[in-house]
Parts: sequence; structure tokens; C-alpha cells
Amino acid sequence: MSSSTDQNDRLLRVPGHELELHWRSSRHARRLLTLGVAGVFIALLARRPEFAGVAAPALLLLAAGRVQRRPARISVRVRPSATRAFEGELVALDVRAEGQGGSHVRWTLHPGTEIDPGDVTAADGPQARFTFTPERWGRRQIGTMDVVLRDRWRLAEGHLTVILPKLDCYPAPADQRTKVVLRRLPNRLGEHPARTSGEGIEFFGVREYVPGDRQRSINWPASTRRGRLQVNTFAAERSQDVVLLADATSDVGVPGSSALDLALRGAAAAARAYLEGRDRVGVITYQWGGVSWLGPGLGRRQLYRIIDSMLASDSGYARGANFRRLPRAALPPGALVVVFSPLLDQRFVEALRDMRERGFHMLVVDVLNAEPPVRRRTEDRMARRIWQMEQDAIRFSLRELGIPVVHWDGVQSLDLPLAAHTRRPLAGRR
Amino acid sequence: MTFTGAIRGGYGRAAIRGAAILLGAGCVVWAAAPLVRSGYAGLALFLAILGVAAGALRLVLAAVPVPEDNYLLPGPLRAWLWFLENLRRVPWEEGALIAILWLEVLHPARPWHTAILGAALVGYLLATHLAESGASLEALRPQVRVLAVGAGLLALGAGAGMIPAVGPGAGSALLRLVAAGALIAAAGLVLPYVAAGSPDARGSGRGTPGRR
Repeated sequence: MSSSTDQNDRLLRVPGHELELHWRSSRHARRLLTLGVAGVFIALLARRPEFAGVAAPALLLLAAGRVQRRPARISVRVRPSATRAFEGELVALDVRAEGQGGSHVRWTLHPGTEIDPGDVTAADGPQARFTFTPERWGRRQIGTMDVVLRDRWRLAEGHLTVILPKLDCYPAPADQRTKVVLRRLPNRLGEHPARTSGEGIEFFGVREYVPGDRQRSINWPASTRRGRLQVNTFAAERSQDVVLLADATSDVGVPGSSALDLALRGAAAAARAYLEGRDRVGVITYQWGGVSWLGPGLGRRQLYRIIDSMLASDSGYARGANFRRLPRAALPPGALVVVFSPLLDQRFVEALRDMRERGFHMLVVDVLNAEPPVRRRTEDRMARRIWQMEQDAIRFSLRELGIPVVHWDGVQSLDLPLAAHTRRPLAGRR
Repeated sequence: MTFTGAIRGGYGRAAIRGAAILLGAGCVVWAAAPLVRSGYAGLALFLAILGVAAGALRLVLAAVPVPEDNYLLPGPLRAWLWFLENLRRVPWEEGALIAILWLEVLHPARPWHTAILGAALVGYLLATHLAESGASLEALRPQVRVLAVGAGLLALGAGAGMIPAVGPGAGSALLRLVAAGALIAAAGLVLPYVAAGSPDARGSGRGTPGRR
């Protein structure tokens, strides 16, 4: 009860839109009119008064229905429970009409593209709540809402259509818990054990005591064996810069699990995993006509900035820019670059090679899950074979440059393809 | 006329839908019996059956959803959608009404038979309306007075039809017709005041969705 009251209060705070109604006769009224006119017509033609009696109830209903008051305009309030949601997340939409008098209100939701309205798409009453699920990432129009007002006698219908607001649908991050860590980490506090001694909690080694060492660090068994005081040392804990590189040039495959879908979901998963590990994460989106980027940053809010950047590519967008022209803020030296790409664009592959030659540590997640269709013609089969060999050659050349390439199908956890590189620090070959 | 409250749930809707179908079929049978062979009676009967059957099918298939995008759909699905669209767009009930009245007028004058048909037709229209709008019987409560007046006029019309003509010729029948028309017109003039005085028009109807 209280939640319903809260919902009403929240809805009342939303500004209402005054909308004009277009009234017209209902189907019921048209049927009554047909019966009335046909009865009178037959009575006149056949001169049989009983047919005028047949027409009488229908005509009386129509005549009496004319005195009903019908509002020319009503106020409609629309409030989605969220303006941003992840794929598959349930979103509620509250609607409320005011100024309809005694008219009966019926709401019908016409969902937009990639919006799943569930089972209920129509509701009655001055206030209603619909739920829907965005199925695919992107800026989605929720759809339109048809509002039909019927007078009490249901002889006239007032129609209006409300265009519902847009919803920013974020790609649902894949499952990723483990992280790839560089062998050499910048001198910045974090959570990854580095290969130098410091103030962390992971055991690093034993050394001789020097004045100033904490007494609680003394390793008494080692001190007893060596006859001098020995202290434990611990690994330093550092953070790293991670730049996610999403290839948005090619979108092949079934919509919903295409290469671009997987690239965005994988990048979102990686961003979430590294940000939870207190790393600084940035993103570069490579697309036709240029590159958009967002400099590495920390915190939970950065996750939403990254996804916004991938979806909108408004800030930092540089038409015709390439990786060489990107500022250090976008691609800091020594950063780990995690690439999500189907590796179909040769220029993108060349850019990866260029970055590798500039000394960046890279890891490519191959998100290509589609192949040319199998056909009977020899030429088609040969073309398909050549395409496959080209793809193999691209991946082989990247591996030869020291860029690990792992394949991800979008179904399993990202931890599985990355397992070989998360067990030990990633060392790039210079 | 008494109302026992709103019929709710799927059972109530199915009952109203069934009532509409039965009333439509009953009207066709009532108007067609006994079968006549003149005045395109066969065509009228066919149209009446077609209209009632298609209207019933429309009510039954009213809840079948139609996809928003119908591009690149397979042929059978496209044909099904075309069928559904035409089933919902064509005014089948109006055609059935005209055909049923046509069937009735082909018979010699039988005023009470026609009056019962008129009452059944109004019932058919009301049941069809309730079935397609999903409203309960409560929606008819504000119209009870008007329906009662209409029933009275229906009976008066049948009575006027039973009065024998004063003399031979067309003038006598025309007089009866004018009398019936005057009655309907008078009722139509008075009725707005009757309706304005009804509980519905005063805005105190029970169970109306607009009230807070």
C-alpha cells in the first residue's frame, strides 16, 4: 500500500503533458446507427411500423449518448522507473491521466524496436503500470502509448498517442572475475601484487633486519637458524592503467550475439572487473571515420562513462584520427590494452601492429562468431577457404608479434579464454 | 432488468462472448424461419450467416497479437496476418444486421415476431460490444432507463403494426408509420433530460474508473 502511494507521489512530480483528444464514434455506435437507419428505412419502404419499433432502442441509445460530456484535452504523465538500464533488465513505466472526467481510460503500449513488453500491453483505468525489458543495447525508443477514452455509454472514443521517452540500454556485462595483470606496474597504490617489496600483504621474501624495521615483521624461525635477526618482506601492491579497445567497424553475426554485441559486452565486463580491482580504466572506440576515446579513470562512475562513451562516442571524438594522434591521456605509456575485435578490418589490424611496435602490452579477445555461408559452388567454397586462411593468417601474425589472441563465444565466462593469461603476469615482448 | 454485479475473469468474458455468438445465430434463425424463396432470400441468408460467423470469429481471435514489424515474414504467416487484419477491419456485424432485417422483411407482416427480433438484435449488439471491449455488465447500468424506454417503443411499434388499417389503400399504412415515427421522435426529445437525471450523468456511477 505504501509503495503504491510512493509510486503515485513520484508520478505526480512528473510534469504532465496537455494533449488534445480526437473524438469519433465507437464501433458500438456505428452498429447501433446501422440498426436504427436500416429499421427506419425498411419501415418507410415497406410501410411496416414494427420496423420503426426495431429501430427505436438503437436510436434512443444514440440520442441519449449525445448528452455525455467529453473532455477535449487531458493531461498525461509518463514516468519510466529508469532512464538507463542494462540489457534484460526489467523497467517499469507508470502512466497517469488527469482531467478525463468520468470517461473510461484504456492504455495500449506499442513497444519500440528491441523492447520486449512482456505479456501485458494494455491496461484500464486512470493510472497504470507497464513493465518491459530492453533486449539489445543502444538508445532505444520505448515506443508509443495509445490512450483511448470512452464515454460512459461507450458511444464515442477519444484517441491520442503519447510518444514515450527514450531509454539508454547498456550492454549487459559478461561474467569476468579474474584479471590480466602486467609484469611491470606503475608506481601507484593498488591491489595487484608487484614484483618489488613494499607494504602489501603477500609474502615477498626474507632479509636481514635493519634499524627502523617493525618488530612484528621479524621472522623468528629464520632469525634462529641464521643467528641474526631476519624480517619478512611483502610485495608492493600497485595498480595499472587498462585501456579497452573496442572495434566497432564490423557488426557481423546474428543480432543480439553479433561481433559488436560481444565486443561491447566483453568491454563492459572487463571495465567492471578492472575498476573493482582499483585499476584506472579507459576506453577507445574504433569506428568508421575516426576514433573516440575516454581517458583512464577510477571508480564506479567510470564504468557508466565508459559504456556511454562506447554507445554515444560524443566526447573526445576525432574524425579521421588514428592511434598515433591520440593523446597520452587516452593511451598512457605502459598501459595494458585489451582489444575486443572480430579482426575483420585490415586497417584496424595494422593499427594493432603499430601499437605493439610502440611498446604497448596488448591482449586481443577475438569476438568473431560468424562465417560465410557454406555453398555448393566450387568458387564459393574456394572463396570461403581463402577467407578462413586470411583470418588464420591475421591471428598468426599477431601472435608472432607477441600479441596473445583468445577467442570468446559470448556465452561462456570471459575467465575461460583469459585463464592462460591471468595465472601469471603478462609480459610483452619488446 | 437486474444486474448481479460485474462478471470478472476469463470465464465471464467467455460467457459474454458465447452469449453474443448465440444471440447472433439465434437472430439469423429467427429471421430466416420459415424459409422463403423470393427476393434474394438465399443471398440474404448467406450474408447473414457470413456476417455473424465472421463477427464471432473476430471476437474469438481478438486476443491474438499481431507483430509490430511484418517485414520478411514467411508466406503462411503473412497470409494469416492478412486474414486477421481483414477480419478485424470489415464491419461484419453491420452487414449481418442489414441481412437479418432483409430476411425478416421478406416475410409477410408478423409484428410481434419482428419485435422479438428487434430485442434480440439489440441484445446481440450489446453483447458484442461487451465482448470486444472487455467491459462487464456493470457498464450497461447507466443505460437501463433508456433501454426500458426503447423496449416500450418496440412494443408500441409492434402494437401499431397489429392495428388493422382503417381503410384500404396506402394512406392508412402511412398514417400508422407516421404515428410510430412521432413516438420515436418524442422519446428522443425527452430522453436527454431522462439521461441527464440518471446517476451516471451526475457523475456518481458506481465502479467507474475515473473516480478517486
